[in-house]
Amino acid sequence: MVDINVVEAKGTARPKRVIDRLGLAMRASHVLVALFVVAALIFAAVGVIQDDRFFLRLGTEALIFAGLALSVDILLGYTGLLSLGQALYFGLGAYVSAVVLKEVPSFWAAMAAALVVALVIGFLAGLIANRVRGVYFALVTFGLAQVAARAVYNTRSLGASDGLIGVPVVPIDLGVITVMSNSPAGFFLFTLGFIVVLYAVCAYLLDTPFGRVLLALRANERRVPSLGYSTRNLRLSAYVLAAVIASLSGALYPMLRGFVSPELLFFTTSGNAVITVVIGGVGTLAGALYGGVILTVLKSVIGSLTEHHLIVIGLLFMATVIFLPKGIMGVVRPLIERMLRGGKR
Amino acid sequence: MFSIDQLQVHYGLSHIIQGVSLEAAPGEVIGIFGRNGVGKTTLMKAVAGWVGASGGAITLDGQRLDGLTADKVCHHGVGFVPEDRRIFPGLSVEENLKLGLMQRKGRSRAEQNREIELIYERMPRLAERRRQAGTTLSGGEQQMLAMARIMVGQPRLALIDEPSEGLAPMIVADIFAIIKEMKAAGTIILLVEQNVDGALGVADRFYALERGAVVLTGNAKDAVDRARLMDVIAVL
Repeated sequence: MVDINVVEAKGTARPKRVIDRLGLAMRASHVLVALFVVAALIFAAVGVIQDDRFFLRLGTEALIFAGLALSVDILLGYTGLLSLGQALYFGLGAYVSAVVLKEVPSFWAAMAAALVVALVIGFLAGLIANRVRGVYFALVTFGLAQVAARAVYNTRSLGASDGLIGVPVVPIDLGVITVMSNSPAGFFLFTLGFIVVLYAVCAYLLDTPFGRVLLALRANERRVPSLGYSTRNLRLSAYVLAAVIASLSGALYPMLRGFVSPELLFFTTSGNAVITVVIGGVGTLAGALYGGVILTVLKSVIGSLTEHHLIVIGLLFMATVIFLPKGIMGVVRPLIERMLRGGKR
Repeated sequence: MFSIDQLQVHYGLSHIIQGVSLEAAPGEVIGIFGRNGVGKTTLMKAVAGWVGASGGAITLDGQRLDGLTADKVCHHGVGFVPEDRRIFPGLSVEENLKLGLMQRKGRSRAEQNREIELIYERMPRLAERRRQAGTTLSGGEQQMLAMARIMVGQPRLALIDEPSEGLAPMIVADIFAIIKEMKAAGTIILLVEQNVDGALGVADRFYALERGAVVLTGNAKDAVDRARLMDVIAVL
């Protein structure tokens, strides 16, 4: 939502547009997401022309992990909570989706189940995690994800260490068209639309008074209760929202890959999501999308050259923290903001 | 009616507030004075629910406030302007102001907007800067914003800690004028202030603290009481 106020300029009857600093930043993020969508559409068109499967599926995976990064950004960027266990909800969504799809091959049933499970588990885990702050919150979220990962790893009915295979191809009925989950271009475009919708929902919510209070909470948690807000409820709401975003993104994973494995719940998944957000730009939402693509592509490209690709990603992460502390968006977004202001600083 | 009865507050083993009692009626401004470190701010924080009381009672219009969390205390009609103003960075003036609306529930959107407009009418400088980041305001404007933020909640009790600290005399006069308006609206005000003369100008009664206990109470308009207060807090 863009907040534009029209006021009278001093000494003249001509109205001067004054744009809210925060609204401008969010508007710049929208522009960057629009550019992201255009680039993705061009990518899809090239993929279709060249009858590509590999890169379209890699792009789809990047978008799915961007959804996970979006959930981390809600917590880290807007509430100041570093979750090292967001893979819990991503993996949970993936497993729930896989189990449902194997029983009832319905896209909407799988997504609804992933949503409900994320709401319930997110609420319960949020009650536990939000009892502590700072590094302890990070450790508790890490612990919760590890417990879930170990439980899945040892559950034979969930495929144990092998995971669940044989997730069927599902038709995604969108009313006007039906997309098959095994169609590289079709599922890529669907995932793109889905992640953009998740972005839009997050952007809308975080641009409402709810988002403003979260920002206040991040800035000064002590002061917020004296204005009548329950910090526990606010943190819990943000946590559940992030859980839902991660779970819905994860629910798409078995549709793409046809299987799920316990690795989806491991720390590497959570850690990669945090790295994605830091590279993209914390608290920008758009950065999660760009970071998701950059990290997935780098992992794939560098991984095809050397098995030590994690070293490169680690170095990239360190370089970003040192030289671009606000991530890629910290460089790009101010340029867009300046453009939106008509070139004025 | 607001009352504190034999309030005790500990920070670990340190006994900070040692049996403070006070009373205030609607529309009364109570000055709380004392040297640094005697427990003035801790007293405010205890009333606001920021620190827990280890004994005694805090009551506003018959409702006990001690033991409640800060958000619940706020919902009972207590507004707190802390010492350092605490303007939220990253939020505009208007967003900072609107955060205060939650203090009083049950108002329609139109009523809330009207409340904000009233503040802007009263403080046009905030209106001019409504889209500006709150932390870019001058110290005096930030103090006004902090006061305005509790005013939109229409508190029955306002806790105002060191409002004139570091401000120019002209701005201080504005701040005290706002306190007078709140008083006229029937708000009970507990005012902690180092600017004793200025505070006595708006206060009805005062309490002087020493080592966490009340050592003197008096009428703010009474010359003898004021002289005794100056002796106690050694401000001459």
